[in-house]
Amino acid sequence: MILGARPETVYEPSTVDEAGEVVRESALGGKTLAFVGGGTDLDLGAAPGRIDAVVRTGRLARVVEHAPSDQIVVAQAGLTLGELQRTLASHRQRLALDPPLPERKTVGGIIAANVFGPRRARFGSVRDLIIGISFVRADGTLARGGGKVVKNVAGFDLPKLMVGSLGTLGLITTATFRLHPLPEEEVTLHLPGRTGAGLRSLVRGIKEAQLEPTSVVAAWREADRFDVAVRFEGFQAGVAEQRERLAGLVRGEAGGACEILDEPAAQAFWSRHDELRTTALLRAKLTALPGHVERIAGDILPGLLAALSNPGFLWYATLGLGFLAGSPADTDSAARAILTARERVAGLGGTLTLQAAPSAIRERVDVWGPPPPALALMQSVKERLDPQARLAPGRFVGGI
Amino acid sequence: MSASPSPATASNDAVARMAAAVGARYCISDPSEMRTYECDGLMSFRVMPGIVVLPGSTEEVARVVRIARELDLPIVPRGAGTGLSGGALPVPGCVVIGLSRMKKILEVDLENGWMRVQPGVANLDVSKAIGSAGYYYAPDPSSQSVCTIGGNVAENSGGAHCLKYGFTSNHVLGARLVLADGSVVDLGGPVLDTPGYDLLGVLVGSEGMIGIVTEVVLRLLRKPQATRTFFATFPSTDEAGNAVSAIISSGIVPAAIEMMDRLAITAAKAATGVDWPDVGAALLMDADGPEAEVENTADNAVELARAAGAIEIRRPRDEAERALMWKGRKSAFAAVGRISPNYFVQDGVIPRSKIAKVLREIEEMGNRAGLRIANVFHAGDGNLHPLVLYDANVPGQEQAAEEIGGEILRMCIREGGSITGEHGVGADKAVYMGEMFSEGDLETMSLVRCAFDPETRLNPGKVFPTPRLCGDRPGPHRPHATELSGEAWRE
Repeated sequence: MILGARPETVYEPSTVDEAGEVVRESALGGKTLAFVGGGTDLDLGAAPGRIDAVVRTGRLARVVEHAPSDQIVVAQAGLTLGELQRTLASHRQRLALDPPLPERKTVGGIIAANVFGPRRARFGSVRDLIIGISFVRADGTLARGGGKVVKNVAGFDLPKLMVGSLGTLGLITTATFRLHPLPEEEVTLHLPGRTGAGLRSLVRGIKEAQLEPTSVVAAWREADRFDVAVRFEGFQAGVAEQRERLAGLVRGEAGGACEILDEPAAQAFWSRHDELRTTALLRAKLTALPGHVERIAGDILPGLLAALSNPGFLWYATLGLGFLAGSPADTDSAARAILTARERVAGLGGTLTLQAAPSAIRERVDVWGPPPPALALMQSVKERLDPQARLAPGRFVGGI
Repeated sequence: MSASPSPATASNDAVARMAAAVGARYCISDPSEMRTYECDGLMSFRVMPGIVVLPGSTEEVARVVRIARELDLPIVPRGAGTGLSGGALPVPGCVVIGLSRMKKILEVDLENGWMRVQPGVANLDVSKAIGSAGYYYAPDPSSQSVCTIGGNVAENSGGAHCLKYGFTSNHVLGARLVLADGSVVDLGGPVLDTPGYDLLGVLVGSEGMIGIVTEVVLRLLRKPQATRTFFATFPSTDEAGNAVSAIISSGIVPAAIEMMDRLAITAAKAATGVDWPDVGAALLMDADGPEAEVENTADNAVELARAAGAIEIRRPRDEAERALMWKGRKSAFAAVGRISPNYFVQDGVIPRSKIAKVLREIEEMGNRAGLRIANVFHAGDGNLHPLVLYDANVPGQEQAAEEIGGEILRMCIREGGSITGEHGVGADKAVYMGEMFSEGDLETMSLVRCAFDPETRLNPGKVFPTPRLCGDRPGPHRPHATELSGEAWRE
């Protein structure tokens, strides 16, 4: 079930050809389709219109090619991120994407939902790591873009077009990614109790000192206070040196506190992070500039947090991305708080989108918010690639 | 090579209307004055445009596009004209829209790491503007002192340091675009993750075929704390290629790792006076990042180079020495011009683990044709730049050089690589697209193009191997049957 749509048929192709055949036949029958990987992000987007059939990618789960010396991997869409990472780890490599729920999230789903984790701070998001894609178009045509080499400017960038498209442009069957070496060493520093202003000065300080953390995440604790985790990864000497410099920087501030977490404590922080991003009934993503953090913390967050029970908030401090979590205490006041926050974030040039919400909230709040300025172009792309609007109709931005 | 067809210069009406739109002095219609615009850096292809227009603002670009559309003229956008694939090659009678006048830096926000610029700003001027504050713009194509940001966006330009930092597409956060119907739209912006399709991702590298960029938001990076450089010589490209593989397989991510073969080294020495030995191959590597990390990385890389058979390792003692090493590398292209009357630059990509094998094959191709081939390239990402040397005055040599260029591209495809790593497909390589991609792939790319430009007015004749039309334009929105029947739910 995808947001209330109950498909009559579920297909589970075991080859790319079979997948193409399924989509082609559905096209002939005029059937609407949705594509499902690990099923972790089915709450994303608006409720689709009628879904006649679902194509599950679970049986398309092979590592097609891992070329360690070229640092690339070709994987089928249904392969879980966890499984992929284990294959890569045997060659001391990884795909530098760390969304929560790696054992359930699949390659195809990661691309379609454009998911990411804290390491985006250094390695970028799916768009920065994907170098090739194969997908089945709405009419069953198999299309491929990009390639197997990192540097490649031949043809239009179809891989990026598919990133975040939520299954509305085609069925992703395989993807190729550039890989990174697994770090020799990893350390997380914990900086408790910082204010919005303290977060802003921390990010400035990190840049000023030319430190290169792979993650900087602030977790809201209470009132105007955040606990921050900063992670360094790399060769031992470099990690140790960066760790000491950051600790020195923070301890030099008035009231600055900094502890180096041991492995279980670091694990606990990051697990709590993953939980906040995945379990709550209501989850929203906020975007702004990193330097807007005081405005977020002071003007926007309090209203949101007050409207939720068990509220939580994560701020990816170097990126300007936030994740809100909680349960709406009262539907009307939660909806009002979201709309007010959305308006204020828009005033900063940012957006607020719902990533999960009870249907009562969805009835009051458009999950996507106001359409982006390029909506007409997006509709035009959709119409060219899926002219009958059969792929997850209505789920995407602006009713696409 | 294509000769200039008989000039189809613009009608008096077109000239008058364009002049009214941008000012007469920014409208060029005299054939002798339009010579500069006949070609880009790929000078063997030349076509006289109908008219050249140099707008000074987004609004003027939009006006010019609307006039061109009303007169049904094709449009070819142009930056500095340094492209090497004929991406800015005119088509007969077209309107060339040159963006060289739009070279203002509009907004800088160092705290949040971005800058808004007009498309005519030169690549290097971005880094220059913020260098003293300790920031820079990462993509560094060899032509960076002249090539423009607008052209970089069109071609998804790379450069030596893309190995670690990525290409233009990884460093463009937003763009203002004039579409083929003259409308203006913004994609992305300084704030990440605008909801919707990643059309900005599609724009970068679309070779001027989906819109004309009039503003670009660039990502700015803080300069790394330290950079370590070393230069290593090897008996042949075999050992050098193996060293590259060993370094990267060890978990090191160099900022750049460049290779030169014997002929390229000889040429660079002659041109710049660097005191490099006569050897079979050389590597130039940069590692950058936090001091301790880089120190460690550079030491390890040097050890791996030695183990792979390096003859000599040189580490620059100061910034001046380092700059000279890079000058030697960067001048290698031009330097080859000194040892041969003509040369032909190819741009292809192979998986880096195949460098040694592929370079041997390229050498054999040269031997068979009786032509010398110099190699100076981005070894870290397998981006080859073979320079095929020839003498245009010797009958048959030019054609033989071109044939080798084609053979090299086919080998790149066979080895699982690409026909272009950074120069773009343009007019030059469109013919090879059908060898790298299937009809379904190309049709899909064409559908995307048609979504932006249903009349295929923008930069026709590039990228696609055969001319394509878009067919009927779908209506603005056709509701699905389920919507009409009320079964489907839309917000």
